[in-house]
Amino acid sequence: METSVLCRLNSAVEKYGDKIAYKDPENSLTFSQFNDLTRSIGTYLARLVPAGAPVVVMSGRHIFTPACFLGVVRAGCFYAPMDGDMPVTRLNQILGVIKADYMLVDKAHLDIAQGLEFRGTIFVMEDIIDYPVSDELLEQREKTLICTSPLYVIFTSGSTGVPKGVITSHQSLMTYIDSVSKVLDINDTDVLGNQSPLDYIAAIRDIYFPISRGASTFVIPKNEFAVPTALFETLNREKITALCWSVAGVELPAKLGAFDVLKPEYLKKLCFSGSVMPCKYLKIWQENLPDVLYVNQYGPTEATASCTYYVVKEKVDDDTVLPIGTPYDNYRVTLLTEDNKPVATGETGEICVSGPILALGYYGNAGYTEKAFIQNPLNPNYRELIYRTGDLGSFDENGILHFHGRMDRQIKHLGHRIELGEIEEAARKIDGVVDCCSLYNKPKEHLYLFYTGDATSKDIVLSFRKNMPAFMVPRKLVNLDKLPTLPNGKIDMQTLKTYFK
Amino acid sequence: MMDELMEILEELRPDVDFANETKLITDGILDSFDIVALVGELNDAFDIEIKPNNLVPDNFNSAKAMLALIEELQDE
Repeated sequence: METSVLCRLNSAVEKYGDKIAYKDPENSLTFSQFNDLTRSIGTYLARLVPAGAPVVVMSGRHIFTPACFLGVVRAGCFYAPMDGDMPVTRLNQILGVIKADYMLVDKAHLDIAQGLEFRGTIFVMEDIIDYPVSDELLEQREKTLICTSPLYVIFTSGSTGVPKGVITSHQSLMTYIDSVSKVLDINDTDVLGNQSPLDYIAAIRDIYFPISRGASTFVIPKNEFAVPTALFETLNREKITALCWSVAGVELPAKLGAFDVLKPEYLKKLCFSGSVMPCKYLKIWQENLPDVLYVNQYGPTEATASCTYYVVKEKVDDDTVLPIGTPYDNYRVTLLTEDNKPVATGETGEICVSGPILALGYYGNAGYTEKAFIQNPLNPNYRELIYRTGDLGSFDENGILHFHGRMDRQIKHLGHRIELGEIEEAARKIDGVVDCCSLYNKPKEHLYLFYTGDATSKDIVLSFRKNMPAFMVPRKLVNLDKLPTLPNGKIDMQTLKTYFK
Repeated sequence: MMDELMEILEELRPDVDFANETKLITDGILDSFDIVALVGELNDAFDIEIKPNNLVPDNFNSAKAMLALIEELQDE
């Protein structure tokens, strides 16, 4: 059994040495070149950083970023990626949770890093990628890793206003990658087109399919997603065969009419996740590319990206609702009622997940971890943790799982997971906002903020732009004299929804 | 017409200086989700149909360029 993802990297280098592993518009790296970078970075870090320590990585949208991640792993450490484009307040919040002593940045992010509330050591990637490799040191560090060691910590929205760091182990990552590769038949002829930001959970396929399966990944520039014809031209120029995108990313070219101009000619596999797919857009993909394998994925970051999948064999209509399907290998899904009882076929319960893919919890937050990861209440005999997703689902008579929304106020917007409570916490901190309520108009994809107080909508948006990631900025602001309430004093959200346009 | 356009842009992204920016797309100031929202609003407000071929940086890099595109599409 493999002890860490380094076993995979080592064998991939032997097998695919001169093949391209990662490419972006400026550079490309073969498996050997990529490996050499990780070994130099790893040696440099191993001299200064103790094994098992978290290392924050803040590096841009280019192929040296995965080399930084794996370089950290070569040093026997785990990485916590941060998107340097996020507002400083957000970056400081993340640093406050991870409390790391070391940060690895690319030159372009050095100024930002130096301006953060960070008192540890900052390493610059460009300065250490040629560092002489010590085989001995790297071997020592590789031996410190076991399959349950943390691999990375990825941050997601938290309802109390502080982001949560989900810790994933080597074993969980490898289990997921193997299961999803099997369904998508990812192999060494595949070229992936990366859409997701590299610090985000959805990028793990693009980062680890090359190492695990010998595939290549092309990192698509972000602004091409605003120019759909350029996006499709890139897919054709790079002969991209497989896309693992957010639903929001799959919708974009269909919404903007890219298929009227050209088609991705090499595409064989399209897997999407992150939110419910509106089938009027999937239909456009199917009509234009009928032979592509379409896979709907479902699952939270806490269960390593995805836990169930559904291969779309039928031709969809505008109003088709896709099931979320069946669990991947080594994932178990259990549905529970509110009082922890099993759920009958056809009835709705909370989707709970177990297996070697469960996250190691939330970094530095035992309270949250104990609440979300609990002993399976249906198993009194041995230790079996389950993760309560907060999502509702039901199994039909064929054992296919269907999704029925959230139990709480978490939403999916533009491919990102957001707690509406976190939007409200941020709004309440703004001068001139007295009370507020955030709601989501799903059909229009508008994030609303209803508020009382003297703040102008411009004040509020500017404050959000300064403090929060772009996807968390409310699009529609409604200033009210008073928020409507129910007889029990709680905010009347149904009345607020009548403001949706 | 410029006033109406500026109003739409201001509402979409109050943090951006649309009067002076000339590299809105090239510099990534407007992202893909802004563009999707913007295309919908412009189509409705000016009774035009922005086609995929119109979605190139040159047409959206500045408010002035967007106005020129709107006028061109209205003439069709």
